[in-house]
Amino acid sequence: MTDNQRAPADDAAPRRRPSRRAFLGGAVGGGALLAGGAAGFAIGQAVADPDPGPHPSAGLVDFYGEHQAGIATPSQDRVAFAAFDVTTRDVERLKGMLGLWAAAAARTTTGRLIGTTEDNPHAPPVDTGEALGLSPAQLTITVGFGPSLFDERFGLAGRKPAALEDIPALPADVLQAALVGGDLCVQACSNDPQVAFHVIRNFARIGRGTVVLRWSQLGFGRTSTTSTGQSTPRNLMGFKDGTNNIKAENQAQMDDFVWVGDETDQDWMKGGSYLVSRRIRMLIEAWDADFIADQERIFGRKKESGAPLTGKAEFDPIDFSAKGADGALVIDPVSHVRLASPEENSGLRILRRGFSYTDGIDARTGQLDAGLFFICFQKDPRTQFVPLQRKLGSMDSLNEYIKHTGSAVFAVPPGVREVGDWFGKALFTS
Amino acid sequence: MRIAARAGLTATALIAALGLTACGSSGSGDSGGDGADGKRGAIEIVLTDNGCAPDVATAASGAMTFNITNKDATGVTEVELLSGTRILAEKENLAPGFSGSFSLKLTAGDYEIYCPGAKTSRSKFTVTGEAAPEATGDDALTQGAALYADYVKTQAATLVEAVGPLVAAIQANDVPAAKQAYANARSGYERIEPVAESFALGEQNLDADIDAREGDVPDNEWRGFHVIEKGLWVGNSTTGLLTVAQELQANVTKLQGLVADLEYQPAELANGAVALLEEVISGKITGEEERYSHIDLLDFAGNVEGAQQAFAFLQPGLESIDSTLSEECVTQFAAVTTLLEKYTDAAVVGGYVLYTTLTPADTVALANAVQALVDPLSGVAAKVV
Repeated sequence: MTDNQRAPADDAAPRRRPSRRAFLGGAVGGGALLAGGAAGFAIGQAVADPDPGPHPSAGLVDFYGEHQAGIATPSQDRVAFAAFDVTTRDVERLKGMLGLWAAAAARTTTGRLIGTTEDNPHAPPVDTGEALGLSPAQLTITVGFGPSLFDERFGLAGRKPAALEDIPALPADVLQAALVGGDLCVQACSNDPQVAFHVIRNFARIGRGTVVLRWSQLGFGRTSTTSTGQSTPRNLMGFKDGTNNIKAENQAQMDDFVWVGDETDQDWMKGGSYLVSRRIRMLIEAWDADFIADQERIFGRKKESGAPLTGKAEFDPIDFSAKGADGALVIDPVSHVRLASPEENSGLRILRRGFSYTDGIDARTGQLDAGLFFICFQKDPRTQFVPLQRKLGSMDSLNEYIKHTGSAVFAVPPGVREVGDWFGKALFTS
Repeated sequence: MRIAARAGLTATALIAALGLTACGSSGSGDSGGDGADGKRGAIEIVLTDNGCAPDVATAASGAMTFNITNKDATGVTEVELLSGTRILAEKENLAPGFSGSFSLKLTAGDYEIYCPGAKTSRSKFTVTGEAAPEATGDDALTQGAALYADYVKTQAATLVEAVGPLVAAIQANDVPAAKQAYANARSGYERIEPVAESFALGEQNLDADIDAREGDVPDNEWRGFHVIEKGLWVGNSTTGLLTVAQELQANVTKLQGLVADLEYQPAELANGAVALLEEVISGKITGEEERYSHIDLLDFAGNVEGAQQAFAFLQPGLESIDSTLSEECVTQFAAVTTLLEKYTDAAVVGGYVLYTTLTPADTVALANAVQALVDPLSGVAAKVV
């Protein structure tokens, strides 16, 4: 040790890693301790209540309703999504948590604190606080149940809908085990990313001892339009994808393709829907090196206008039979717009509600890990998402530039109708 | 060594020592009211955002059950029965649409039904009839805190005893023996780490001098356990370690002297237990604490054991205040220790598999188990203040 190296500043600087909490207040000796720390706080001591009540902004979406919000709701700009695994074997505990989630959702979607202000200074705060004072910005919270929830643990095997099958292996899958499946999911959508994240953080906290996080995904920009009032956004490939998505205003299509109806084998799912999520990594560096005409051939649309290659404007009808001067189809036989179109899929549709994501860089290549966190809703994934993706995965020209790395399916029960109802109450109690 | 060094008192022994009985049980000499009041035995409380007034404001002394139903209170999910500032019983985590109950024996006096966060959060509840003194949770908590002081002293003594062989092995230039002695000495410190962390004696910081990791302090001030760890495992040598070990011996002896007169508040036990588990999540589960020897799971076990002991001393008192919370802590402690047992390996120095053999799935499972314990445990301090 060289004493002359020790600058005076060293004495002033902290000489240790700080203790995260003052256990004994630094006091030494007997009597001093009794007078320190814990003394002086009465339980229930009044603390100013910062709960502002419902946020005054117009940015509110009803939490209670016939269907869960976050499906027909015009797509927000941000998503925080998480899949959870249930660790308890006690079904009562799981039910209690779903009740607490519903209560928390009812409050935070109106800009209120989750739980009321903790007025005991010795207790951790009930709400973590980062959304306090922020507009909910159209916050919606959507909860779903994965196929694995219906195993032997909670006596739910007999209540599993036939439509809730694990997504089978599909062509072009490069799934990472850590990004697949889950007993439960929570989708929090908002125009404010901090508000959305606050939901996942607090739901995980409420669920401690009952559930653990399995995987989570943040999405930073909507890639779908789900309402006639919205313009079509662009995906990270720079294209408008999903121009012909189902729009919430089209009640007939919502009933035909999205909401579970009388056809279900499980009454508790009526008014619900099935959520399929796919984490689709885009090889954007490779994509960026492709020439524009090829990019447009692959999508079947013009990049700038979003118009089909057979039209002039985005919403022009697509002429799938049109041929060019060379006699070839203008819309390529393996273009994305053709393969995904209802016309080429016996009229089949799904409600797409995805978000762009980036998770930093791929440590193996130094390239951006970015793409599409694809989310879709439907009546029955077995006859909607699965055949669609089986076809796309085997034929779509886009496959050269994408990899499906994550996959999950969840039964999204109908809406929480009113206070006293909760996520999946009919599944667990009727 | 690892488990055998546990202090003599266990929760069970403590309950016996204090002559405590569980909440609501008989035997305290209370003859109670004789049932003249027809309402006695079941008090109904409907929890709303407005409050939690019981259906009757008065009951005769004796055993009674409070049935609580949350009708529509999304932000109020807890009901407590208070005597003054003390929580006698409570029901937590009752969301709208759920109900629950607690039962206990009440003697004559003025009580409050308290639902934090409601518009009218307090309602009076009066019990008439015989007033009989009962052993209270408070007595148990105070005695538990006193017994914890003994536990800390025992651990400090264990630590001092265990550092002796470490010095001797280094002096004898016996690297394998020194490694074993190092591992043997770690647990005594890890079990009471937050106590040591609390000492900042002017210039000297005992926690840093005993347990700083490389980089925590300027290099020229780095001393203590981990200097020895690096020398033994990286250098595979005892060169230059003798003065470090002797200085460590002086510091742990100083620690032993400092804890001799300490007294603790019950809430400090609870906060200390949480602090120990935070150490686990921040340092042990990441492999940062024992970065050269990789015996992090031994420290992990020491932290958990220290937390479990602190909690065990609170448990009898907590049981009569909030049996649900108490049981939850017990359950989650058991889950952590059961999981940890999977990783024991007597053939390895320290008794656990090395950190480097753990997969991400292992560390995530361990961290999740500890986090599930931290959550209820962090609620204990507020109950025992």
